Amino acid sequence: MNLKYGFFPGCTLKSAEKELMMSTMEVARALGIELIELDGWTCCGASHIQDYDEFTATLVNARNIALGEKLGVEKIVTVCNTCTLMLRTAKKKIDEDGELKEKVNTGLERAGMQYKGTAEVTHLLWVLLEDYGLERLKEKVVRPLNGLKVANFYGCHILMPPNVMGFENPKNPQSMELIAEALGAETVNFDQRLACCGFHAVFPAEKEVNKLTRINCLSPKEAGADCLVTPCPLCQMQLDAYQPGAQKGLDQDITIPVLHLPQLIGLALGIDPDKLGIQRHVVDVIPMLRALA
Amino acid sequence: MKKLKITIKRYDGQKSWNQDYEIDYEKGRTVLWSLTMIREKLDSTLVFSSACQHGICGSCAIKINGKTVLVCQTPLDSMLNLFKTDRLIYEPMSHFEVIRDLAVAWEPKMEKMKKVNPWLIPIEAGTKENGFLQGADDFQKISSATDCILCGICTSECNQLEVNDGTFLDPFIFNKAYRFAVDSRDCASEDHVHPAYENELWKCLHCMQCVSNCPKHIDLTGEISALRNMSMKMGETKNQGARHARAFYEDTWKKGQLNETMLPIKTDGLLKTAATKVPFALRMMKTGKINPLELQKPVNGIKGVRELYDYAKEVEKSES
Ligand code: SF4
Ligand code: SF4
Ligand code: FES
Repeated sequence: MNLKYGFFPGCTLKSAEKELMMSTMEVARALGIELIELDGWTCCGASHIQDYDEFTATLVNARNIALGEKLGVEKIVTVCNTCTLMLRTAKKKIDEDGELKEKVNTGLERAGMQYKGTAEVTHLLWVLLEDYGLERLKEKVVRPLNGLKVANFYGCHILMPPNVMGFENPKNPQSMELIAEALGAETVNFDQRLACCGFHAVFPAEKEVNKLTRINCLSPKEAGADCLVTPCPLCQMQLDAYQPGAQKGLDQDITIPVLHLPQLIGLALGIDPDKLGIQRHVVDVIPMLRALA
Repeated sequence: MKKLKITIKRYDGQKSWNQDYEIDYEKGRTVLWSLTMIREKLDSTLVFSSACQHGICGSCAIKINGKTVLVCQTPLDSMLNLFKTDRLIYEPMSHFEVIRDLAVAWEPKMEKMKKVNPWLIPIEAGTKENGFLQGADDFQKISSATDCILCGICTSECNQLEVNDGTFLDPFIFNKAYRFAVDSRDCASEDHVHPAYENELWKCLHCMQCVSNCPKHIDLTGEISALRNMSMKMGETKNQGARHARAFYEDTWKKGQLNETMLPIKTDGLLKTAATKVPFALRMMKTGKINPLELQKPVNGIKGVRELYDYAKEVEKSES
């Protein structure tokens, strides 16, 4: 398989989660994966835009996919659960409905574009398992994460709904554990492993999501984990940036660092933590790195 | 002979305990079979419910190793393989009052459902004597929603209900609201949509558990999205959820990408943001996560993006 992909970063990688951009690029380079950023990509709508206007949601994501098709790549890769879901949802709808496809293309024509349906939409986590392979990844590990206890927080949108995502069974997925173990880390089972981070309702359901963040941090901590790791920048932001808020008024210490998946991989590949943007986190990751060293 | 170890969370009306059972494994059996075996051979006090044994009555849902399923439709082997184990843990559904063992109370849920007026408010064209005429297209709109068997799996798996005080409507109640709101024979959409809106419609976390686990494959999150859209069209546009959704729609039109610095202000308004989000914003700025001074350029091809918006509006007009 040639390791050349169209790359859809998504808005957070350009702003609040720049460290995910840094770590993704570093890891891709180290593994020999070529990521070509789509020229002119727009926000996927982050699972909100369809509440306002469903057809526009489909149109802008058809345009995003068409940008990838123009590159002639087989796959468009993302590093965000929700971007993956939004793009795949649009793709599934259009591919299954010829009439809709025509309607979408009438619109795209005005922008001088066309949706063909030739490119798949995938996530870096899946690329590593499906295209790259665990064995190859293991060979690239220079600093095995021996002794590090990792709690994998999947996030909902990389698993569900299964008729759109479909990579693995959402009732008991294993992909994150496979990667962490290939890097030499120990994986920790915890109650909230498959929980929702609540990010998509953090404004209208502030109180409830705050409560959820507490549980989501406490659960891995009590299971003995050194850190949470997630394949989604929105989960990361919710668990990391909102953690001090969730701690407020609570006697019990909920502090736990939250890594992006490419950061965990980058550490095992021996990449300088600074280049992975580790210092950009709200909850300090340095103590965990010291324990590792 | 291979043994099957099953732990059941028991409840006798006062106290709760875990009880272990062991039965002989048989290939190709359902979870319901294991419950029946335990009750018939080992413990006649065990309470669980099931009626149709064919995925129709919706009475048999329980949690197995944390995931809610219809026991009459679930092969034991699929659960053993999925969790790579020889021990299964059976519990009653979450977010329901437990009566005994695995049996839960539905009356409080039916009371709660009344909030959305879960009945037809008929248009004048319909009469008791002659009934209603409904075309195939209009029937299609409600066809899937009417498949609900009230099994409660969506409720049990709902992440919002896990942290909510009980106001948030169960997903199957949103389904009922939707089902009547879009029914061509119903004349009062608002009477179904508005109570949904009032009962925390915008607090759905979009976690997708309901839609992913519904045995009837009802598009519950799609329905919630449609209810939100209807509520906005009915004038409920000033709340945080609606403003948030609109911010994504507008930012994509303006620059193609999201303006994260402005998002809280667009959603909460300037005053509320200033009052509640300052410590958060400072933290974000300190780590460089948000930079209010960063200038955002429109993406390449922004003109084309705006063409798409115009086109969507034209299509909507021509179709309505
Ligand atoms: S998507 Fe919304 S309604 Fe459905 S389970 Fe999640 S929070 Fe509950
Ligand atoms: S919507 Fe689906 S999961 Fe929920 S009660 Fe109805 S049939 Fe069961
Ligand atoms: S017994 Fe009726 S649905 Fe399972």
